[in-house]
Amino acid sequence: MAEPVVSVRGVAKIYRRDSQEIPVLENIDLTVAPGESVAMMGPSGSGKTTLLNLIAGIDRPTRGSIEVAGQALDGMSERELAKFRSRHIGFIFQLYNLIPVLTAFENVELPLLLTRLSKAERRTHVMTALDVVGLTDRIAHYPRQLSGGQEQRVAIARAIVTDPTILLADEPTGDLDKRSEEEVLILLKRLNREFKKAIIMVTHDPKAAASAQRTVMLEKGALVTA
Amino acid sequence: MKYLRLILRNALRNKLRTGLTVGGTAFLMFVLLFISTALTEMEAWEGEAAKHDRIAIQHSSGLANPLPIELENFLRGEEVSRHGHQLQKMNWFGGWWQDRSNWFANLAVDHPIHRELWSEQKIPDDVQARWAEVKSGAIVGKALAEKFGWKVGQRISLLSNLYSCVPELEIVGYFTVPSDIRQEQQLFFRWDYLDELMNGRKIVGTYWMSARSAADVPKLKEIIDGHTRNSSDPTETVTEKEFAAQFMAMMGNIKGVVFFIVVGVMLIMTLMTANTVAMSARERVTEVAVLRTLGFTQGKILFLILTEGLLLSLVGLLVPLSGALLLFNVWKVSPNPQWFPYFFIEPGTIVLAAGVALVSGLLAASIPAWLSARRKIVDGLRQVV
Repeated sequence: MAEPVVSVRGVAKIYRRDSQEIPVLENIDLTVAPGESVAMMGPSGSGKTTLLNLIAGIDRPTRGSIEVAGQALDGMSERELAKFRSRHIGFIFQLYNLIPVLTAFENVELPLLLTRLSKAERRTHVMTALDVVGLTDRIAHYPRQLSGGQEQRVAIARAIVTDPTILLADEPTGDLDKRSEEEVLILLKRLNREFKKAIIMVTHDPKAAASAQRTVMLEKGALVTA
Repeated sequence: MKYLRLILRNALRNKLRTGLTVGGTAFLMFVLLFISTALTEMEAWEGEAAKHDRIAIQHSSGLANPLPIELENFLRGEEVSRHGHQLQKMNWFGGWWQDRSNWFANLAVDHPIHRELWSEQKIPDDVQARWAEVKSGAIVGKALAEKFGWKVGQRISLLSNLYSCVPELEIVGYFTVPSDIRQEQQLFFRWDYLDELMNGRKIVGTYWMSARSAADVPKLKEIIDGHTRNSSDPTETVTEKEFAAQFMAMMGNIKGVVFFIVVGVMLIMTLMTANTVAMSARERVTEVAVLRTLGFTQGKILFLILTEGLLLSLVGLLVPLSGALLLFNVWKVSPNPQWFPYFFIEPGTIVLAAGVALVSGLLAASIPAWLSARRKIVDGLRQVV
């Protein structure tokens, strides 16, 4: 069996507010195989987004260890984590989070600015990513000139442009109308099936969850099915 | 360079706010350039004077009081000559040509020694010879001659409030001062001609001479001032630098005022830019968190925001600087041609302004940049602006 792309072992996360400790995750174990798509469901406040953030390396667990793409995240410095994210993680946000002063092309190009690619090479990569999401005709559009569905597709192009190991999506269809939701789900499915991208998607939507190969449930900070 | 577009777009995110900040900064920077240049121009003589070992002997009660002609014999005597030479009488005539607005520096001097004593003034041999021939002859700085369109052989009359006579001078030639073009705004005519017009009253404004070495200067002061101490016309012997500094002193503590203005300008610029950068950074908390999620390091975020602050300051510098250079250095506009025949923005002033812009930009952006870079990514993503 191939090495898992994500391996979470005994992870707990406790937030501290003043002198109060608020446990958000408790003793989480989770593995995701290469090319697997996993939907993470659960009620609000169950810790889905927190777990996603820990896997992305944008937050640190209080206890336990996380390994992504064969790299242990605990013990990494902020700088090392940044490098890890740029290489292995493609993150898709619920509210797209595009930079409003940049065009669709420039938004997708952003992660490539951190690489040593030439301008021409960056252009090729950006156009390929925008072609995958079907938006090559919108390269000069600013986010305000795009629909919600188009914005999310640009955000997906930004997430895949560096060819990351895994895509992490935090309620990617949560702010979309039905038609756009379907388009995005089809796109994510294609990225998983055609491009063999591992995907972890946080969602409240059973229909979105159904598009994944596996669904895990979180309740009060604990995994109830894995 | 690949981040320039992102930095520029962010800086121009709110064009009105950025425009007002840059406009305010540019205005303050222009004030700084203007005042610094005025100070540089006023100090120009002081700087040039420090290069020479010339001394001025003036009345201890001030320049308005003349010195006795008898002092000349003592100054030419053996005791003084051991330490100094090239003695010259010099009277500030304070005249103007045709109209009071045509005021410029004009002085009556002992012409035979002038060229040696003021060696930085380049007087051609034929001009010096002609000056010796023509008692009413005057030598004119090339820049001054060009300004008034004077030609060699032309006769001009000078009017003055200080003297009752009207010298009718014949321009015998021009001199140049390659080391300092400002000195070309002067006219020198013969002291013996002025004395003739004043019916031989032998009025002497100041005596000038060259010390044989820098070490001789204190000796000369001691000998000359000691000799006149108990006379009816006591003297005060000063170096040329001190003589020039007297005029600065007359204008009060200008350096102090300029320093105060520079600090004030820097403070206001910093606060204005800091306000703009802080507002802009606060609006972008989520965007910064997104950039960091994409893999931008804290250092890169710091760099982006600091560069944005620097960019605002730089534009606030370049706009007034190019305007001032065009106005003063290219079109040669002077705010007051009498006081400032030349009003050049010197390289030192540009360096000062650039330094103020750099420090101000860095100071202004440092706190918002540091806060943005240090904020936890998850906190930034949660922030609703």
